[in-house]
Amino acid sequence: MSPEEPGWRWDLNRKELIRLEHISKSFDGQMILDDLNLVIHENEFVTLLGPSGCGKTTTLRIIGGFEHPDSGRVIFDGEDITNLAPNRRQLNTVFQKYALFTHMDIAENIAFGLKIQNKPEDYINDKIRYALKLVNLEGYEHRMPDSLSGGQQQRIAIARAIVCEPKVLLLDEPLGALDLKLRQEMQYELIRLKNELGITFIYVTHDQEEALTMSDHIVVMNQGYIQQEGSPEKIYNEPENAFVADFIGDSNIIPATMVRDRLVRILGAEFACVDTGFGTEKPVDVVIRPEDVELVKPEEGTLSGKVTEVIFKGVHYEMSVMAGGFEWLVHSTKLSESGTDVGIRVDPFNIQVMNRPESEDEEAIGVDV
Amino acid sequence: MFSDRKTSRVMASPYAAWALIFILVPLGMIFYYGLTDETGRFTLANIAAISQPEHLKALGLALLLSVISTAVCFFLAYPVAMILAKNRVSSQGLITTLFILPMWMNFLLRTLAWMTLLENKGVINTALSLLHLPELNIINTPAAIVIGMVYNFLPFMILPLYNSLSRIDENVINAARDLGANEVQTFFRVILPLSVPGIVSGITMVFIPALTTFAISTMLGGSKILLIGNVIEQEFTLSYNWNLGAGLSIVLMIFIIVNMVISAITERREEED
Amino acid sequence: MKTKLEKVYMAVIFLFMYAPIVTLIVLSFNASKSRARWGGFTLQWYVRLFHDSEVINAMANTLLIALISTVAATIIGTLTCVALMGLRKKTRTIIMGITNIPMINADIVTGISLMLLFRVLHFQTGFVTVLLAHITFNIPYVMLSVMPRMKTLNPDVYNAARDLGAEPFYAFRKTVLPDLMPAVTAGALMAFTMSIDDFIITYFTKGSGFDTLSTKIYNEVKRGIQPEIYALSAIIFALVLALLILRAKIRQRAALPAKKKAALYRKEAHTRTKVIAGVCAAGAAILIAGMAFGGVFSTRGNKLFVYNAGEYIDPDVIDEFEQETGIEVVYDEFESNEIMYAKLAQDSAAYDVVCPSDYMIEKMISEDMLQPLDWDCLPLSRENIGEQYYRTAQQFDPGNRYAVPYFWGTIGILYNRKMVSDPVDSWNILWNPKYKGQILMQDSIRDAFMVALMKDGFDPNTTDQEEIDEATQDLIDQEPLVQAYVVDQVRDKMIGNEAALGVIYSGEATFTLRENPDLAYVIPKEGSNVWLDCWVITKHARNKKAALQWIDFLSREDIALKNFEFITYSTPNIRAQEAIEDPMIRNSKAIFPDADTLARCRTYSYLGKEGDEQYSEAWKKVKSGG
Repeated sequence: MSPEEPGWRWDLNRKELIRLEHISKSFDGQMILDDLNLVIHENEFVTLLGPSGCGKTTTLRIIGGFEHPDSGRVIFDGEDITNLAPNRRQLNTVFQKYALFTHMDIAENIAFGLKIQNKPEDYINDKIRYALKLVNLEGYEHRMPDSLSGGQQQRIAIARAIVCEPKVLLLDEPLGALDLKLRQEMQYELIRLKNELGITFIYVTHDQEEALTMSDHIVVMNQGYIQQEGSPEKIYNEPENAFVADFIGDSNIIPATMVRDRLVRILGAEFACVDTGFGTEKPVDVVIRPEDVELVKPEEGTLSGKVTEVIFKGVHYEMSVMAGGFEWLVHSTKLSESGTDVGIRVDPFNIQVMNRPESEDEEAIGVDV
Repeated sequence: MFSDRKTSRVMASPYAAWALIFILVPLGMIFYYGLTDETGRFTLANIAAISQPEHLKALGLALLLSVISTAVCFFLAYPVAMILAKNRVSSQGLITTLFILPMWMNFLLRTLAWMTLLENKGVINTALSLLHLPELNIINTPAAIVIGMVYNFLPFMILPLYNSLSRIDENVINAARDLGANEVQTFFRVILPLSVPGIVSGITMVFIPALTTFAISTMLGGSKILLIGNVIEQEFTLSYNWNLGAGLSIVLMIFIIVNMVISAITERREEED
Repeated sequence: MKTKLEKVYMAVIFLFMYAPIVTLIVLSFNASKSRARWGGFTLQWYVRLFHDSEVINAMANTLLIALISTVAATIIGTLTCVALMGLRKKTRTIIMGITNIPMINADIVTGISLMLLFRVLHFQTGFVTVLLAHITFNIPYVMLSVMPRMKTLNPDVYNAARDLGAEPFYAFRKTVLPDLMPAVTAGALMAFTMSIDDFIITYFTKGSGFDTLSTKIYNEVKRGIQPEIYALSAIIFALVLALLILRAKIRQRAALPAKKKAALYRKEAHTRTKVIAGVCAAGAAILIAGMAFGGVFSTRGNKLFVYNAGEYIDPDVIDEFEQETGIEVVYDEFESNEIMYAKLAQDSAAYDVVCPSDYMIEKMISEDMLQPLDWDCLPLSRENIGEQYYRTAQQFDPGNRYAVPYFWGTIGILYNRKMVSDPVDSWNILWNPKYKGQILMQDSIRDAFMVALMKDGFDPNTTDQEEIDEATQDLIDQEPLVQAYVVDQVRDKMIGNEAALGVIYSGEATFTLRENPDLAYVIPKEGSNVWLDCWVITKHARNKKAALQWIDFLSREDIALKNFEFITYSTPNIRAQEAIEDPMIRNSKAIFPDADTLARCRTYSYLGKEGDEQYSEAWKKVKSGG
């Protein structure tokens, strides 16, 4: 890894803000988090990404103070806050399904935290106006939460959280309840907000696209372990195991054999690659993204097969190709009709070689970075 | 929806007739009797009779005891409902069922139980004297009536409070903590206001039956303490003065209507929110 | 720490809620009749309970009413909800608004309003009126449960079924009803519970000769708590507990994962149809049985409706009469003359033969509520009842045209010699602050005023407002000293040492003297009331012949003696008096006071409507403490 890579940037320039040390948590005897270690830096957009039940929300709630870890420590700005009540932590949360106070109007909702701090009225009013402007909802002061659309409520929830000027904003799947178009709009909105406020965002989602779009840093979690962390580009292009590869984007994950450095045998055909250090004649898994599979004439390909299905997806065609006894997923702007014989070619740097786990369980073992 | 308007009308007509005969007409009769004298002439005397000292006192005492009972029920029930809701006890679960179970037991048997307990030589006093403690003389006093009311109507307070508290999204409470409110502030600024619908319906469900009861006061008050319910009951079963009884019932209904309006307003506000 | 506090709090509330119920259950096994003492384990109260046909009847009534009213309310309610969906929103709102009335209104007002309706329409109150009332207040529970569910249904499912060629009813049954079922069941369950638990509305609509469990318990409790009621409580609690556990089980199954449930459902679909059909058939059978039970189809020809004061006959006597004559006796008890009068005034044909007291008979004669007796049919009554008693009866029944004396007695003070140190010979002792909270007064207008009027040296039949006012003030002054105003409970309370002094009827006193040797009975020196209860036949009696047979049967020597031994009041039946074996009783001054004492006693006379109102108003003042 080289320092020029975008994911590296933060590590050098930014100060450490939150550190989770050996956090474990179980509910009813079921392990949710197992010895989790994580460092979050200042002014970073960090996303905890994973399927439901992976422990991402629990991690967020432990940072927010709504859950107490069974063991381990939470360090915030150099201070141990593991036992600090949520109201004493310098961070605010945007909850799933907004959690607005339905008995208060918008202004009262936003002012809630400030009134608790006994701020002067003028200050509060200024803050309300500022926050509403920030989330593009000026003039909504005296509406009731139930009369607002989902997207608007979400903005209010954000406004309510940021007027307290937290150092960190925790967002728990904040866009989960919105429809697709609104979700995309809000994604840009959140990036803009983060840049304007200049604070740390910790964002929880199960939507890999959302994570890739917004984050500076992604933490992929599964079954209570961190599977991989890094910049979006790194996570996408260099998944470290089959779980990450499968979870982030569509991919062809194929069992293969590493013949030697820079040469891998996939489905009986030998492909050139760029990976080294896996040994010789070792079983491995390879990941090939569908858009990286090139369809050529049968005689020109490393492997030959037949197109079995074609679906038009607007920007590209999605094709299934039967080759070497494996059904390949292929994305291409060039159409190959169903039934055509084709050859498959992959550029060496598009083949990502991974260690194959010995057993099912090993897949879940933490990969500390 | 499932039938055209004509069929619907035919189908709805039996109940419409039923409601007319058994709900509206009887209610009208209370007003008829309440507003006429024995000869059928219009009079307001039966309603004005509430200002007679003995009626006024019965009404005042009924109001006082029912307000006290409602307040006691509220303060006893709120923590119970909070604890049940907080621990996310299922509404069909064992613990909730146990708290509602006495409600299913016959109302008079529940009251009878307290007669047995509170009697001068009853269970409580026997226990107290065994412990060489001074005996209590509660039976046949307003205190006994309040105990009876609280005991009988407590589940009616717990249930709606529990329902409205368990409906509060846990994250709303977390949000308040997150925004800097401590537990006390969270309770008064968020939890309490959000449980207002439950409070209102709980109060209605306790206050109305407590205000209008006559069985509890007869059984635990030793017929010594007349509440407005007893006065009305006696006008019908003892004094045989339907007009006066109906007139006093109208007065009683005024309180019910006031209560109804208050709960309707809260409900509407809920809907608007 | 905090959760510990929570646990303690929950435990305290729990204790508060269950301690009384546990007490009832424990006492149901207590061999001692006293509630303060454990007399060993027994099941006798349960045995007695199941031999008490009245309680069993009341239980059957309760269940019948609950079942029929639930079925009816569920059908009407569900049908109406379906119909409402097809109506304009405004109509819907109005109907739902009316439906809400019984839910929000106080039960006492609903009960009274229905009572007025039934009375004005001259409905015979009883099973049918209670059933109608229960259906009325049950329909809202069903509708308020079904309606919200109804609104969430997707009409296109129904429309799709119609589109595929289903007839409207078939389509409804196959698409809408299954979705609606949980709400219908919930509503029905609620209605059933409400019906079983109801007391107030039943109390006002039930009329004579009919009791549900609630009204039965109320009457029993007013008369004094019998351990059988504890047994009943324990049984009901066990039933409720079983029902709730069953319900929880059903709900638990409802919460199973969809897959499992579907499998279960398929397996049970077949049996379910059968069960539903069975339930419907059973419901119909119960309905018909209930109608018959409620006397809708039965005639009154062979029945005699008797209305007597509480515990005022040996139950065996009724059986004997039924066996000897083949007449079926419908026997009801009243608590006071006033209640009896109110009932007869509302429904003059409710009873054939009644047993009121002297002053009440005078009132009923003056209001033309009675019919003259045919003395030719009453040979034993003419023969066995002492002439002096007929003479006394002439005070209220001039010419002895209407009444045959049944029992007589005096009112006096029963006191506990261990608890009262002062000599008891005057009504004044009931105003002695030393006995605050230890005094039991009669909860009856005339008796209470008699005590005060006699104390002040006035005629107990006075209508002089000043004298009444003075007595009223006396009673108001006395109120703080009084433990309770009761009727039949004086007996049990005095036996149980609950109070030191009580105003009591002589017959009751005799009974208590046997049970508790510390008690003594005195007729105060100022004088008291002597009363004479007689049998009379109501003006509109439907079975006059049987009524005469009844009266004469009670005047038979052996029957009168049997009743005397059971009731312990003074019998006017000379033959029976002579036949009393125990000389102690035959010569008892409490039962048969001497001529001197009797000379100081007055009978009540009828005061006229205005006089009654004077006392009635004054009594309310007393009860509300001025």
